[in-house]
Amino acid sequence: MSAPIHIQGFTNDSLGWKAWLDVVQLAQATPAQMSVLEESHPKAKESDYYLFLVHQPEILRQRSIAFNAIMYAPGGLSRAERELASTVVSRINGCVYCASVHAQRFEQLAKRQDVIEQVFEEPNSAGTNQRERAIVEFSIELTLNPEHVNASSIQQLKDVGLQNSEILDLIHSVAIFAWANRLMLNLGEPIFPSV
Amino acid sequence: MLNQNSSDTLDRLVGLTPQSPTYAVRHEREKVVAATQGSEDGLLAPALPGLSEVDRLYVVLYACLLTPAPELAAEYESRLTKLEANLQTIRCIHQSDIQSIGDARLEAMLSFTHTLITKPINADKNALSALPKAGLSTPEVVTLAQLISFVSYQVRLAAGLRAMKELELSV
Repeated sequence: MSAPIHIQGFTNDSLGWKAWLDVVQLAQATPAQMSVLEESHPKAKESDYYLFLVHQPEILRQRSIAFNAIMYAPGGLSRAERELASTVVSRINGCVYCASVHAQRFEQLAKRQDVIEQVFEEPNSAGTNQRERAIVEFSIELTLNPEHVNASSIQQLKDVGLQNSEILDLIHSVAIFAWANRLMLNLGEPIFPSV
Repeated sequence: MLNQNSSDTLDRLVGLTPQSPTYAVRHEREKVVAATQGSEDGLLAPALPGLSEVDRLYVVLYACLLTPAPELAAEYESRLTKLEANLQTIRCIHQSDIQSIGDARLEAMLSFTHTLITKPINADKNALSALPKAGLSTPEVVTLAQLISFVSYQVRLAAGLRAMKELELSV
């Protein structure tokens, strides 16, 4: 069990999420919408997020394939480090909901939460070792200034031991949260557990 | 150097050919490659119901210009000019002079694009509700949000792949 974190408005609590506009009602969903919900996430049929996005089922289908392949495929960057990058991007973009989910996943995979506390407190200096600091720094740069990312940004990752396949997975993990944050942050809001 | 033969937008724009180590690494994640292109194709499909293809391309052009991601902006602009796009509208988008377009619905879409690209934290419930007020249906709002968010992903993927290729060429 991880300890609760509440820093700068960010948390590792389990949050809900509510859409700001009308979601698709399951009773009225088309067969195409039902099949995309089933492919996307085990709990998609109970989730406002998926029920909202399934207004455009084919787009959701492609997004879910990309997301799941980026975050869960074996090999390459460790899953914990992918979750760390996602948490950093969510912290930078201000997506409290995404940050909470991916902070939890990092803790489950890595069995520690020190770096998550650092990311929530001050992302720019976060990282418990050189490799983590390089991953965090790259995630911030690609999020805020993609046009500045260049060969030396990649070299810095290599210098702390990342292989090409790990660097590609890191780029994917950062980029997919540019996408995910803009849905979670801009189409609805987190629901906090009642105290 | 473009790889003009590829039907994959990122391979073509970044100039990744099968001889390149960056191409090889990227294509080890073939599912991601396919779903990335599949998302672009789906979001910009001429027949997608709702927002017109031209309006969708105005949105992605504006998103790329604001990022900035010049190569992707040029790519989408060239697609616009092949359709019956309004050159005055394209000029307004380049100058970020959205209010002068004279189409309230498109202006609302582009203003939402501006916030999501430059400062997503500022796009709150009020920002979203401006879209139904401008006449967008909920499925159209979903298309618009997915389109802007997808481009936010695509420009970062392009930037990362280009940097990997740059390093590969320098060694």
